[in-house]
Amino acid sequence: MIADNLRLDGKVVIITGAGRGLGRAMALKLAEAGADLVAAARTREQLEETAAAVRKTGRRCLIVPTDVSLSEDINAMVAATIKEYGQVDVLISNAGAGEDAFGKTIDQITDEEWRRGIDVNLSSQFFGARAVIPYMLRRKRGKIINVASGYGLRGGKHNYMYACSKGAVLQLTRSLALTYADDNIQTNCIVPGIFPHNERLMAFFKGGKFIPMGHGGQDSDLGPLALFLSSEASNHVNGALIVVDGGGLAGGVTPTGVAPQPSA
Amino acid sequence: MALPQGFNEFALTDKGALVLGAEHPTGRVGAVALAEAGAKLMIASQEPGTEEMLKETAKAVQAAGGKPPFIQVQNASIRADLRSTIDAAVKRLGGLEAMVVALDAPYYAPAEAADDAAFDRVIEGNLKGVWIACQEGGRAMLQHGGGSIVIVSSVLAERGVPGASLYCAAKGAVANLVRALALEWARQKLRINLLEAGWLAEEGSPALANDEFARSLLKYLPYKRLVQPEELAGALLYLASPASAFVTGEALAVDGGLLCRV
Repeated sequence: MIADNLRLDGKVVIITGAGRGLGRAMALKLAEAGADLVAAARTREQLEETAAAVRKTGRRCLIVPTDVSLSEDINAMVAATIKEYGQVDVLISNAGAGEDAFGKTIDQITDEEWRRGIDVNLSSQFFGARAVIPYMLRRKRGKIINVASGYGLRGGKHNYMYACSKGAVLQLTRSLALTYADDNIQTNCIVPGIFPHNERLMAFFKGGKFIPMGHGGQDSDLGPLALFLSSEASNHVNGALIVVDGGGLAGGVTPTGVAPQPSA
Repeated sequence: MALPQGFNEFALTDKGALVLGAEHPTGRVGAVALAEAGAKLMIASQEPGTEEMLKETAKAVQAAGGKPPFIQVQNASIRADLRSTIDAAVKRLGGLEAMVVALDAPYYAPAEAADDAAFDRVIEGNLKGVWIACQEGGRAMLQHGGGSIVIVSSVLAERGVPGASLYCAAKGAVANLVRALALEWARQKLRINLLEAGWLAEEGSPALANDEFARSLLKYLPYKRLVQPEELAGALLYLASPASAFVTGEALAVDGGLLCRV
């Protein structure tokens, strides 16, 4: 039965960047489907809000304040997970940064910003996979879900660190998928399009009118996908890039909202 | 049938759903998945003489707890048949919100061996049928507030395979058809996506032959085994249901990681 395959009872899911937005929405959806959670992010107060919402569904939620750019923080977070639950079934590497830098010209970007962005968006996902894989190998099961961006597949004006780090996440996904295919560890990548989390981004993306569907994504749009990819229903889905972008990447050779006129 | 709470986005409770190519194993899996999600179903075949195979699909639907689906088998030209099938689906189901198109006409032969009749047959079975299904289904779904179309295809839509040039061309054409239609319908709440299956364990597949190709293919696959049609069910339901509400014009591969490798 498909419903049985989708259920996450008894599974332990780590979500980074779980303090708000997409991360929190995914955490809640997975809890509703039966998973126990580990919520990781930098700010404890935000994690506590996520944990309170998760616990309302009747599931457990361990919070671990974590700077995902530091491998020692990631290792400690995974160790805390094992101590609390004894296992890790799913890692969702969702934490990311750098959208605030959209529009900065190349000369305005400091070495520190570049390195920090690459570490938060890319190194964090490598560190996370490296930390959970030994535990997944022991049980011959596991799911790694990386979160990239449509900018990982297309370029953007004044978009360097973000596009590079997200593009690399796709490659990290593919190599992990191939390496651990034999060990029943699936690695997939959620590729969100434009999800304007704040008014600045909403203005930057002009309210989403350049998106084929005519609007940006909502936090709730990723929850069901995270559920599917965390579940046994996706056991043959491996190395997949799943784009959730209102049709953005399907087009791109004409401006949105206009079509060539019929030929005579 | 209904999905438990927490899975509402995957539910198709009492929504009209049509599966074209329901005599194929992949279509059968689609029919069962949609029924499990609560959809009212019509199952159809574009191959004359497939009544018995559709009855098997109907049995599988009922075994999964679904109501007996309506059955439709081709008895006219593709255009007339698909139009009447879709009109019948709208009428009997009270609307059409999900359509799974599992039409497929495999063809393996060296390029120089394929005559014009083979070209017509492969393009008709893999592209023209899908095109007409999208046109007719899209028309009906747009009149009723939109919905979701899922085209079941193959990883051969993305890569070349020797001895399968025509089939690869047809599958590739469908992949780009999906992108263009997605953009055309994006603002009318009609979504369309592709499900790209890896090498399937299905009757007649060269992957099941006892030869060098099949043996080396198996070693090459990341999972070292073929995809069972049942393994498409989750992805199919994800794309057919509101779980993928912000996804259109995309391809979801169910291939064990095959498209990742060189």
